[in-house]
Amino acid sequence: MKITLFEQAAYRYLPPDFAEHHDSVCDTPYSLVTHDGMYSSMRNFLDELMFGARSGFDGIAVTEHAQSSYDLMPNPNVVAGILAYQTEQEELDVAIFPMGRSLGKTREPVRVAEEYSMLDVISGGRLVAGFPVGLSYDASLNNGIPPIDVRGRFNENLDLVLRSWQDPKPFAFNGRYSQYPQVNIWPRPLQQPPPVWLTGVGNPATMQLILKRGFGFTFFGFAGSKLTAQRIFPRFWELADEAGLEHNPYQVGFLQHIAVAETDERAEREYAEHVEYAFHTGLGAIPPQMLALPGGIDIRGVQALLRDPSDFGIYWQMRQASLRDLIDSGTVIIGSPETVADQLTDLCRQHRIGNLHALLGFGSMPRELAMRNIKLFADEVAPRLRNLWQGSGFEHHWWPERLGGTLRRNLGEKVSA
Amino acid sequence: MVKTEIVETWGGKLPITVSVAGAGQPLLYLHQAAGLAWDPFLQHLSERYTVYAPQFPGTTPGNPYAIHTVDHLCDLVLIYEELVRHLGLNQPVVIGQSFGGMLAAELAAHFPTLPSRLVLLAPLGLWRDDAPVANLLAASADRLPGLLFHNPEVAAAALAMPEDPEAAVTATSQMVWSLGCAGKFFWPIPDRGLRGRLHRITARTLVVWGRQDAFVPVSYADEFAAIADSKVVVIEDSGHLPQIEQFQQTSSAVDDFLVR
Repeated sequence: MKITLFEQAAYRYLPPDFAEHHDSVCDTPYSLVTHDGMYSSMRNFLDELMFGARSGFDGIAVTEHAQSSYDLMPNPNVVAGILAYQTEQEELDVAIFPMGRSLGKTREPVRVAEEYSMLDVISGGRLVAGFPVGLSYDASLNNGIPPIDVRGRFNENLDLVLRSWQDPKPFAFNGRYSQYPQVNIWPRPLQQPPPVWLTGVGNPATMQLILKRGFGFTFFGFAGSKLTAQRIFPRFWELADEAGLEHNPYQVGFLQHIAVAETDERAEREYAEHVEYAFHTGLGAIPPQMLALPGGIDIRGVQALLRDPSDFGIYWQMRQASLRDLIDSGTVIIGSPETVADQLTDLCRQHRIGNLHALLGFGSMPRELAMRNIKLFADEVAPRLRNLWQGSGFEHHWWPERLGGTLRRNLGEKVSA
Repeated sequence: MVKTEIVETWGGKLPITVSVAGAGQPLLYLHQAAGLAWDPFLQHLSERYTVYAPQFPGTTPGNPYAIHTVDHLCDLVLIYEELVRHLGLNQPVVIGQSFGGMLAAELAAHFPTLPSRLVLLAPLGLWRDDAPVANLLAASADRLPGLLFHNPEVAAAALAMPEDPEAAVTATSQMVWSLGCAGKFFWPIPDRGLRGRLHRITARTLVVWGRQDAFVPVSYADEFAAIADSKVVVIEDSGHLPQIEQFQQTSSAVDDFLVR
């Protein structure tokens, strides 16, 4: 089992009535921010990630969201660059996992390939390369991509990035969305190629692509693991069966909000306000249309969502959800190390999850509390999970070789063909 | 009686479904972004003209991915010019509403002798920093009626979805997808350089705008008045869809213009 520390760089000092008046993306008024609040939100975030790297996590993960108050992360590779160098300098064997640059959003796919190459070189071959399509508001409102082009752009950009890493010769690229007279990037990744992960929200077409190409599959449990995991993972494994592929748990990653304290009671008391802040002012405050701009979701996907919106779990109620709602839906797993370890073990075992992305610093959590959560998890919870798939006979093909993975060299045929 | 014709365009790669009704001189009607609806205005036009109302690529039920055949605005304009030729229309009247108005203006700017007359109902296609066009595709469901209509009761009736749940799923998903298809040519800013081409429009042109248009403000009527032989009519007590909200005023204005 690989366990990463994942964090979003939330602005931590929003007013208590924020969710009543504002959304968390696109038009959030910057007048809510103070100089010191912004500095400390970013500084604490970075310190917590580095603390995680020193605490024995297998990887550190961040992702991309621009023009948002819940994740101050227009380019995760800036942060990943800091982590790559600092962990190398301190000789910390952790994966650097941007989850990462959104390929449906970017207008500069070669730059993404170059940034990831830089990270792999700086980290000495510890990059895990995540490629989300990009949330609708981020790709289309923040970067002006017509919603209906986002998926096609993602497919084409992914092909281009993978080729630019691996093609030994310079090549011209005549794409539908971008054209380059010559692609010959310097540096290229040390890993040939780095492990590739795509983020999915439940769309079977994305899952089929992942399986066909042998990528890793990341699913974010933001909307309640008890509501969504039982829908998403069986779908993935069923498609694996149809493709005649093994159920290798290391191909699957899952992200979960987690809060640990000495006792269950103390955990709920200490974390309640920060859990509620995280969801009321974060994901819960993203209006639905910002996640599903017309054209951004395939018409069959729109029909599926209208008939049954359950893949979105508790999202629809999240803006006002109580701590109890969030616990009951599995949106957050909270309690003593034993409680948390038991629930995570059940979750990972049931769904054959071989990579857990532990979201341990979130919302308005003060630095000291976040550090304590990270420490308690690393010391008391992670050791109980780490050997979950030991002896299963499966190899981890989606993790850097320097960190014990066994990479596959062939990334298969083109996505956009 | 509305008939349906399927016309091959773009070297056989793009079939376009056209609703046809009426008798008389040809009239090409280009619908707004949410898709084609055969409304009283089209019915009215078909009493004096043969109305040809093509469905925008991707908006025809059962063929959503046709939109991926068209990447560039100039190809889109060429496709519509092909469509007019393949239908055998000789100098049709061209009427376009909203996004269809932008398309009609582009068609007239690229092919100045194609339309005999041009009617633009609150067209997209231009941008003013002092009066930005609202972002229709990013509007929340509760904001949509106010963007499109002045009178909330008219809005409620016009935007009502079928009561049958499965029919509502079909209608809603098609409308959402249709907006996405049109959005390919007006996202993120509905300005693809039409202002620089307006001088090429030589057809006599009527520009019609609802006074209370909250999507594309009425001040844009002045911009379209740059078309050489043009006249502007502003419809009172109307939002973005004057042919629905003020049918009598709008159809009278269009009728008057077309008979002169």
